[in-house]
Amino acid sequence: MSSSKAGPAQNVSLGPIWKSLIGPLLILLLTIYFYFLAGKIDEPPGPEQLGAAFWPKMILIFLMVDCRIKAGEILKARGIRDAEATQAGPLPEVDTLKLAVMIVMIIAAVYFMDIIGFPLANFLFLLLFMRIAGLRKKVPLLLTSILGTVFLLYLFVKVVYLPLPKGQWFFDDMTIILYRILHII
Amino acid sequence: MFDQLALLGTGLVNTFDPLNFSMILVGLVVGILAGALPGITMLNAIVLVLPFTYLMGIVPSLLLMTSVYCGGVFGGSITGILFNIPGDPMNVPTTWEGYQLNKKGFVSKALGMAIMCSAIGGFLSALIMTFVSPPFAKVALSFSSCEYFSVVFLGLVSVVVIGTRSLGSALISLFIGMFLGTVGMDDIYGAVRFTFGSRIMETGINFTTVLIGLFAIGEVLDQLSVKSKGEGEIIRTRPKTTLPRFAEIWGLRNTVLRGLGIGTIIGAIPGTGATVASFVSYGVEKQVSKTPEKFGTGVWEGLAASETSINASTGGAMIPLLTLGIPGSGATAVMMGAFLLHGIQPGPLLFSKSPESVYTIFVGMLVCNLIMILAGLITAKFFSELMRVPENILCAFIITFCLLGAFALRNDMADVWFMAAFGVVGYFMRRYALPIPPMILGIILGPLSEKYFLTTMIGAGNDFTIFFRRPVSGCLMVISIVLLLMPFLRTLGKRGRKRPEAA
Repeated sequence: MSSSKAGPAQNVSLGPIWKSLIGPLLILLLTIYFYFLAGKIDEPPGPEQLGAAFWPKMILIFLMVDCRIKAGEILKARGIRDAEATQAGPLPEVDTLKLAVMIVMIIAAVYFMDIIGFPLANFLFLLLFMRIAGLRKKVPLLLTSILGTVFLLYLFVKVVYLPLPKGQWFFDDMTIILYRILHII
Repeated sequence: MFDQLALLGTGLVNTFDPLNFSMILVGLVVGILAGALPGITMLNAIVLVLPFTYLMGIVPSLLLMTSVYCGGVFGGSITGILFNIPGDPMNVPTTWEGYQLNKKGFVSKALGMAIMCSAIGGFLSALIMTFVSPPFAKVALSFSSCEYFSVVFLGLVSVVVIGTRSLGSALISLFIGMFLGTVGMDDIYGAVRFTFGSRIMETGINFTTVLIGLFAIGEVLDQLSVKSKGEGEIIRTRPKTTLPRFAEIWGLRNTVLRGLGIGTIIGAIPGTGATVASFVSYGVEKQVSKTPEKFGTGVWEGLAASETSINASTGGAMIPLLTLGIPGSGATAVMMGAFLLHGIQPGPLLFSKSPESVYTIFVGMLVCNLIMILAGLITAKFFSELMRVPENILCAFIITFCLLGAFALRNDMADVWFMAAFGVVGYFMRRYALPIPPMILGIILGPLSEKYFLTTMIGAGNDFTIFFRRPVSGCLMVISIVLLLMPFLRTLGKRGRKRPEAA
């Protein structure tokens, strides 16, 4: 009885367990740091008041306790976890380079939206993102990017009156000229 | 009673006036479309149609706004089911089940079920509103911050029941969400917390940016970064919305009735609304279910409970507005503005001064919820067409809509940055099996629970027992504690049953 229980656990190397423990440990460290920061909130509570730090401190204490529970869960289920993982099959393989490029492109789109204006930033984003995502044909790629941007401009600027970023320097003038050409303003 | 029926008859005639009826149709389509687009909320849509009501009479104005309201709360479920992008925070529980049903190949039926449950919830709550408005409003008004906290606590407890294999992970996610909700200026004491000196952070992290990022961007990155796709891939055909058969709805009658009750009651409490109603309803449904472990994997009860309660809350929210002149949410506040624009003060006198207008609104909401089935089918068909668009094009546009949606919240690029950052976080949460829904729940309900908790504590001299001493609050807290303990009680029960078998 005892051997069957200990069996799977004995076969498990400690490596994956420590990997699983990194997450809760990291969160625990951050929680301790934020708890320390919560103590520095500049609003001393008045008499018979719980104060502005009370609520975040309470959440952080619960979070610390929960990290401990999670770590316990991981250690307790080390054998079962491996068996479950084997049954469920491996996670689908990730194209790390593609993922990294997509993340960089999203961040770049946000960054450049403020500098070169929404129309140009969005056109470039759509063009490049769809290309990275696997759209190879040049004409549909170009047409979708242009028509998509024009449609979004009409919907959000003309219909919803959303003042989308026009960009800085000459990009600002360029966006306004584009709006005039498209009869948006 | 006879007077009431006569007024309902007048309301019916008014509602089917060509102008009034067309306002209902236009409002429903605008509401559903706005609700479905991430970032453009139902409230945005109501504000947008407000200028158009200047030239109209009070009846078409209010019918237009109420139909935008009813359509708007439902609209977000369509994109939630089709693309895992809830249009509004209230549509999050629908998305948990609806998207899983989509993955299983039940997209047509899931859309149909969402439409039917929304219509039933909205229709029945409008019926309740018509007949029991005044006494209902009095009860809702007797609620103080103590009861509000208990309601929100009940919503938070639902994390225990949100579909996840690990309670530890769910709680970590919930507490991180609640902690994120504390960032910025504190509502009660005015203290600035965890902003690191940044002015942008002082206004706090808008939960819609977190919602859009975690769900939509995370999902897009997850879908496009996979080299070879497994069986879980969504079937990319054009789904045809199929309305459920009567027997199927009848099979879910208890779920629908619970959703209706929870939605109407929570909707009638000012300051809570459809989001709290949908989370509480979903949580309660999972607790009473015989197969709670299946929730989160595509369960009809979860979808029906959430959808019914969302639209039931619209009828509930109109009760304090019409009977007491108190708007309980942003949407009803704008509607109150429309009343005032036309020189009408909502409140007890409204029933004696303009009973025809009130009863036209009542009938209008009833009709509106019936027509929503048709409007829902048309709009769902339109969005279903998008399923035929190639994945690479669709994903690029989803990201663009998310960027625009985040910007539209406050016309602030800071929200777009937050959304992008949470998108990346969402991707890694998926990969490392940290559940996303509890974090969303925490960031939405965390600030509300803090506000009500601290307000109660200030009033009660830090006496924690106040939550158990007031009857309504006490009952809600006991229900929450029972729900909280239920998983442990179930485990004990299973062990108890196993022992005699083993013996």
